[in-house]
Amino acid sequence: MAKRLALVLVLAVAGGCGADPYAGKIKLRYMAWGNPEQLKLEEELCAEFNHQNPDLHVTFIKVPNSAYANKAVVMFASRTAPDVVRIDHYEFPRLVRKGYFYNLKPLADTDPEFKYADYVDLAIDEAKYQGGWYGANTMYGAELIYYNKTMVRAAGLEDPYVLHKRGEWTWDKFREYALAMTKVDKSGRTVQFGCEIPLFPMETPVLWAFGGAMLSDDQSHVLVGSPGTIKAYEFLAGLRWKDKVAPTPAQASNAGYTFEGGQIGMVLNWSGMTPRYRAAAKGFEWDVCPLPTGPAGGKSMVKGNQLVVAKESKHPAEAWRFVKFLTSDATERKLYIENRRNFPTRRAVAASQEFLHTTKPPFQTMAFIEAERNSRPLPIGPRWNEWTTAYKAGIDNIYSGRAKDIGKELRDLQKRIESILADEEGY
Amino acid sequence: MTRQRREAVWGMAFITPWLVGFLCFTLGPMLTSLWLSLNKYDLVTHQFVGFENYRRILQADPLFWKSLQNTVLYAVFTVPLGIAGSLAIALLLNQKVRGIPVFRTCFYLPSMVPAVAGALVWSWVFNADNGVLNQALGFLGLPHIQWLQDERYTLFAFVLMSLWGVGGQRMIIFLAGLQGISETYYEAAKIDGASVLQQFRHITLPMLSPVMFFNMVLGVIGAFQVFTSAYIMTSGGPNNASLFYALYLFRNAFEYFKFGKAAALAWLLFVLLLGLTLVQFKNSKKWVFYEGEAK
Repeated sequence: MAKRLALVLVLAVAGGCGADPYAGKIKLRYMAWGNPEQLKLEEELCAEFNHQNPDLHVTFIKVPNSAYANKAVVMFASRTAPDVVRIDHYEFPRLVRKGYFYNLKPLADTDPEFKYADYVDLAIDEAKYQGGWYGANTMYGAELIYYNKTMVRAAGLEDPYVLHKRGEWTWDKFREYALAMTKVDKSGRTVQFGCEIPLFPMETPVLWAFGGAMLSDDQSHVLVGSPGTIKAYEFLAGLRWKDKVAPTPAQASNAGYTFEGGQIGMVLNWSGMTPRYRAAAKGFEWDVCPLPTGPAGGKSMVKGNQLVVAKESKHPAEAWRFVKFLTSDATERKLYIENRRNFPTRRAVAASQEFLHTTKPPFQTMAFIEAERNSRPLPIGPRWNEWTTAYKAGIDNIYSGRAKDIGKELRDLQKRIESILADEEGY
Repeated sequence: MTRQRREAVWGMAFITPWLVGFLCFTLGPMLTSLWLSLNKYDLVTHQFVGFENYRRILQADPLFWKSLQNTVLYAVFTVPLGIAGSLAIALLLNQKVRGIPVFRTCFYLPSMVPAVAGALVWSWVFNADNGVLNQALGFLGLPHIQWLQDERYTLFAFVLMSLWGVGGQRMIIFLAGLQGISETYYEAAKIDGASVLQQFRHITLPMLSPVMFFNMVLGVIGAFQVFTSAYIMTSGGPNNASLFYALYLFRNAFEYFKFGKAAALAWLLFVLLLGLTLVQFKNSKKWVFYEGEAK
């Protein structure tokens, strides 16, 4: 009896080890990062894709955000990358030129189900490189203002979105609003700030609005020390140190001052903040509006992630099917209408009544569309990480109040960045 | 087989696992890294450039010198403080009092906390607005300090944080060293009328000197490899005030894809640490006392 039992066990184990539940299917691997809610959604999407495509099986590889870029780089370099990888906008330019990604253009051009025109132009353009098309955009969106409506009303101010519609929503107005919403208690401690200093690179549209920029559009010139950039940083630093309407670095590092906590009136952020604010912003009303305008206009900026297929993938056509699924109408509705993870790349989804009309904040959904339509991309090139490290250190001197002469600081910074970019790449 | 030969065979047998590990997993990468340091390599293409990476690092890279300066300063403060702190705790935990295992466990516990979790906890401790440290300063009527935001204090904050680990492995080694000192020395000293301080100065310190030397060599190497806390808490800022050598090396390799330069940085660090260790070994003859050693 014991011998028989042992035999059964051995056979069961051997059988179990050898059994492949997906035998006969083409296996794909997909790698992405995100917060738990995002990962859960993508897991559901993989399951849905596997259900709809019985000949394929996608395994979802989740990697923590902090390790993602390095892991992706090492996997691509060692030719072990998953078939489909979600790549951040900041990483895409330096990786695409190394030839890690499969050119999707021939597949997309000949696919009767796929039309470039279904997607907003910037979302398609972000993945173009040397005549090829290397990724489909997802988690796309523009930057805009999230504001505490209750705070605005309590300060006796008109709704910023109404001002925007009248063409009066300017950075000067933004400052006035921030001043009006900032509250200090009897001890002199600020209990409520009108705004916060945007984290890099969120301040880029402010630079544009004042006629400045980090780099020229073709990335051939550094404009960090230009008069417009100087004015923009003087304006931003002034909000913190002169007007005292934005938390200092010490206060900002304190979780006690957050938009969702109701202690900050206005924040500049990506359109993908909705799920977080919906979950955490309680006890007050909030909404969104496009960014203010400045002396040189008022463009927002856009960015997204790219769904790329690894060049070494043995199944590029099947991987393309999965990429299409992740950017399909149904998926975008799930991601951006049901869950408001970000802004749809599909024009039809963005224009749909379901996207525009919602029962939960933010209600001014047209602001997302306006922000995206009136936007431009960041000057991200292959050496972005390199020069922005120096840039952030310089800007840190301004934001922290250490730089007494902002103009000089930025002109010096311009020289440092020019020297980095002039240096031969790779050293 | 002679006794000497038998001992040699056993010796070889004992070091074989390490030797196999070294040959398979360390020597190969080391030689590859040496080769890479003579190349411009970005994971896809490589071009032999000789000593150009080294020349540029030493002659035209201000961040290399900044990171080296930060790291040397960090080591200068943390190594002596760490050794003194570990020794002090080991001396306390070597006392014959009730419940000593509990105390030993309590002091060792912080070193069990993963580095990332520790870094996050310390970020809160150093919070300029309502961190524990500034609360304590406020209680004493002292002004708040922007520990991680003001470049004048950032390095000091990291030194302070390094003391978190004084009850760890180094303390255990000291404790083992203390327990290895024969009681007979102390008994003889007491009979001769030596005070506690004299016993410490003339018995404990000399007898512990090999352990102290060991801890110092490892401490210097460890201090030059500081990375996790700066990576998590400040990313090298503000204004590169916490840009430590290992962080700068990591950035060049994995953020800028400058693997040739990163390899050259690694070899420069190796040479520097080798030099420092050799100096320590040379100086050790003056102050390290090995029991049974004829001088």
